Amino acid sequence: MAISSSQSPRPLALSKQGENQLTIDWSDGHRSVYSWKQLRDNCPCAGCKGEFGQPPDPFRILTASELAPKPPLAPVEISPVGNYAYKIVWNDGHDTGLFTLEYLRQLCECPLCKTT
Amino acid sequence: MQPPGGTLQRLTLPSVKHLVAVTSGKGGVGKSTVATNLALALQMHGRRVGLMDADIYGPSIPIMMGVPHVDPQTTPFPIERFGIKLMSMGFVVPANQASILRGPMIHKYLTAFLTQITWGDLDYLLVDMPPGTGDAQLSLAQTAPLSGVVAVVTPQDVSLTVARRGIEMFRTVKVPILGVVENMSYFTGDDGKRYEIFRHGGGQKLAKDVGAPFLGEIPIDPRVAECSDAGDPIVHKFPDSEVAKAYLTLAGRVAEELQKAGPPQELPGLRM
Repeated sequence: MAISSSQSPRPLALSKQGENQLTIDWSDGHRSVYSWKQLRDNCPCAGCKGEFGQPPDPFRILTASELAPKPPLAPVEISPVGNYAYKIVWNDGHDTGLFTLEYLRQLCECPLCKTT
Repeated sequence: MQPPGGTLQRLTLPSVKHLVAVTSGKGGVGKSTVATNLALALQMHGRRVGLMDADIYGPSIPIMMGVPHVDPQTTPFPIERFGIKLMSMGFVVPANQASILRGPMIHKYLTAFLTQITWGDLDYLLVDMPPGTGDAQLSLAQTAPLSGVVAVVTPQDVSLTVARRGIEMFRTVKVPILGVVENMSYFTGDDGKRYEIFRHGGGQKLAKDVGAPFLGEIPIDPRVAECSDAGDPIVHKFPDSEVAKAYLTLAGRVAEELQKAGPPQELPGLRM
């Protein structure tokens, strides 16, 4: 039998819960809950991680656009990438983070995952 | 990471039942030879087959399939040869010219080959991959509806260790590994004896290590290279040869594994 992706849990459905939460129903019956802020804070893209894992310089001079008032953070689209990840397009234009399925499972904020 | 300037829009190929990549982390193991002969063997099983050359820098399909020179201005693509529909960068760029391109252009060409070519109804579209785990592999895994990959190896360790990295990449991006095929497995001498020129059992060992099916052994025959250089692959030219028979068995195994794997799965998305 070919090695298939069925060996690890897959999302069956994504839905928006309330104003600022995402839920993912997984093939193993688990339901994950994420807040927009948590997803944005944990964006795995090279820019957010800082080049090669270095955090952004806390003493950098903020640009005018960074200081301007912004609408509340929210995704515009959460689209699958191949068979292994999701790309989140945010309302501030950021769209370079690819969240792998394993990473999303790690980030799950549901009471069950938080305690274990 | 997404291709700069590109998108990760999922491509759809509604007229193609199975998109299958013939791959290996390692160069020189015979990916193109296996891809062309596997394509012909699948066709002998009565299937409609296409073969797309994803090696943009070093396309081999035009010579192996006997269409080395075409005028891209006047030729409609795909080109059909021996009943197989073909597309390759070799049809577009003259043989005396190099394709000097960075990654994003590879993504662009592969996307164009998949979506802007009228492939028509196909049971299998085989993609002959370049070696490595870079732009071409990532582009396909991120955007194309791949049913699975066939990994080609030769028996010696130096080939296996690199091929393993290739397999691990597709596992990481959750594309089904249909199995491992060992090319250049052995040579049957005039004395009827089996000579294992590049050692023995590597393909089987790799398949076991990665937990994928072992799809078969393709023997060495000098006519393989002669036929490929002459543009008439051995499965077509000498269908009764030991090599051709091995390819016919391989085609049956690949079809079987594809049946088991089923159509490629798609993840659900969410638009606000």
